Amino acid sequence: MNPEVITLPESVRRILDQAQESIPQGLLPISVFNDPDLHKVEMERIFGHNWVFIGHESEIPHRGDYVLRYIGEDAFIFIRDEKGQIRVMWDSCRHRGSQICRAESGNASHFRCPYHGWTYKNTGELVGMPAYKEAYGGWDRSQIRLHEPAQVDSLYGLVFACLDPLTPPLDEFLGGAKWYMDFYHGLGEMEVVGEPHRWSVDANWKLGCENFAGDEHHTLFLHRSMWEVGAIQVPRDRMSDGYHVQIGNGHTIDMGMGPDPDESGIEYMDYPKEITEKFKTGHLSKDQLALARQSVIHVGIVAPNFAQLHLPLTSDAENIPPIPVKTLRVFQPKGPNEMEVWSWCVVWKGVSEEFKELSHRVLMSTFSPSGIFEQDDVVPWLSITKAAGSGFARLKQPLLNYQMGMEGVGVSKPVPDWAGPGTAYSPRFEEGNQRSFWSKWLRDMLVEPSKVSTP
Amino acid sequence: MITRDLRDDLTSALFHEAELLDDGKVKEWFEGLLTKEIDYRIPVRITRERLSGRGFSEHAWLMKENWHSLRQRVMRLDSEYAWAEDPASRIRHFVTNIRLEEGEGSDRVTVKSNVLLFWSRLDSTDFKLVSGERHDEWVREDDTWKLDARTVYLDHTTLVTPNLAIFI
Repeated sequence: MNPEVITLPESVRRILDQAQESIPQGLLPISVFNDPDLHKVEMERIFGHNWVFIGHESEIPHRGDYVLRYIGEDAFIFIRDEKGQIRVMWDSCRHRGSQICRAESGNASHFRCPYHGWTYKNTGELVGMPAYKEAYGGWDRSQIRLHEPAQVDSLYGLVFACLDPLTPPLDEFLGGAKWYMDFYHGLGEMEVVGEPHRWSVDANWKLGCENFAGDEHHTLFLHRSMWEVGAIQVPRDRMSDGYHVQIGNGHTIDMGMGPDPDESGIEYMDYPKEITEKFKTGHLSKDQLALARQSVIHVGIVAPNFAQLHLPLTSDAENIPPIPVKTLRVFQPKGPNEMEVWSWCVVWKGVSEEFKELSHRVLMSTFSPSGIFEQDDVVPWLSITKAAGSGFARLKQPLLNYQMGMEGVGVSKPVPDWAGPGTAYSPRFEEGNQRSFWSKWLRDMLVEPSKVSTP
Repeated sequence: MITRDLRDDLTSALFHEAELLDDGKVKEWFEGLLTKEIDYRIPVRITRERLSGRGFSEHAWLMKENWHSLRQRVMRLDSEYAWAEDPASRIRHFVTNIRLEEGEGSDRVTVKSNVLLFWSRLDSTDFKLVSGERHDEWVREDDTWKLDARTVYLDHTTLVTPNLAIFI
């Protein structure tokens, strides 16, 4: 075992030792879903080290627009400053640490700390405090600015931040995921519709991540009622058609594939022609384009906790044919046994108001706290978290099963000559996507993050 | 004119509605108490600076339903696979501070009320409380008061329940 791990609390060491042995066999210690000490280590080693999703540029279109966002459990101001530059700044005054931004969103040229009135420009520079001459005369305050993450970068308007200066740049961190994002997110410009949904779930954050890594098998059973009311019309017995891709670095893609678009005439999740006509495909290779056209469902995660989902659904099966809905997700940790789910509705910029309104409404009816899909997802997540924190779990250290798709378990096989990055498996009934999420999590948990401080 | 009789009628209607929802008679609520034009909304609420108002979004909702989409929700609760509400949540609507305002004509009235919703599940001793104000439009159809529109203004920004498979 890595010598650095020796410094970890006993319970954490035990869980990680067990995970190192079991994950390669497709087994996972249940305790990973509810252990207070493990959670503290995650805050440093997962959230102190990885690139974390902050928000989409379209949420702050004007200079001074800001929203409050989180890396792990820490609040950051996500703002477009007076020069138009997008910034991420730790929401804590440089004087005594008080919160300086107390609204969730707004427009501000300055932030004022309520405690002693230290005032910052929206670029982060300290520009004043009351009775400056009497209290601080002669002191050069111009060097003081709000703390920022070591790195901030974006792709297709998706802004990520990373606290660790030694983590590779975003491009490298995403690696092969970019190839898929080129058509997942790059067929046009994306635009966030309305404010995100936020809701609190008494469940561990990783349960959301591993589900969105690609899990069709639960759809058949947990979400069976969706076919009964017609909310989803991708045939239930075709749910395994398509690919799971383990891209590397814990990132996964899951594509449900429909019939050949050239024969069926159905392409791009059945977006209306007036939308698909405007899709930008010049940057796509032949293989990317073929996947984009034939996909009927896109799911996937950028590890550690950013996810996406894109598929056609309806809120009124009798009167409205399914239309594509798209959501961006963050499963934000709030302690070992609670998460906050963040869900953004996105559409392609330039779609009609009518389409935007309907897609937003259908997403809310299906994937949101009130959504008839998502109402059910939390049911197992709540009870897994409870079981994971139980005395039985601590005493017996039970292992959970993630073996679908391993040698001798099921029929999914690697796709030979796969054109994209990573290893693709087909059909989709396999749990390699989950195993790749957990392998990356374990790798991170075994390494002390750099604690290089920011100025 | 808001008469004592009218106030009594609408108070009874609100209490009857709460009884149906608390007793799990969602279908009876949907079929008997809503107009075909029902507009049912719960706007997302966010923390804003005081000068920017109370923070109710004009662009995002936890629910924004018409009769058809409510029907899909109610139908799906009938499924054997509606795990979120099987076993059913134990809920209780406490409806108070009922205020009536005249609507257009004698058969339409605006009713504001406060609601506190108790929510508990399975054998857990935990429970959640959801608090808010409802702005309703009720209309008289064939001598029965029916709900034509409702907006629920929650006192929460981040929703405190893990899902919203019930009606407020």
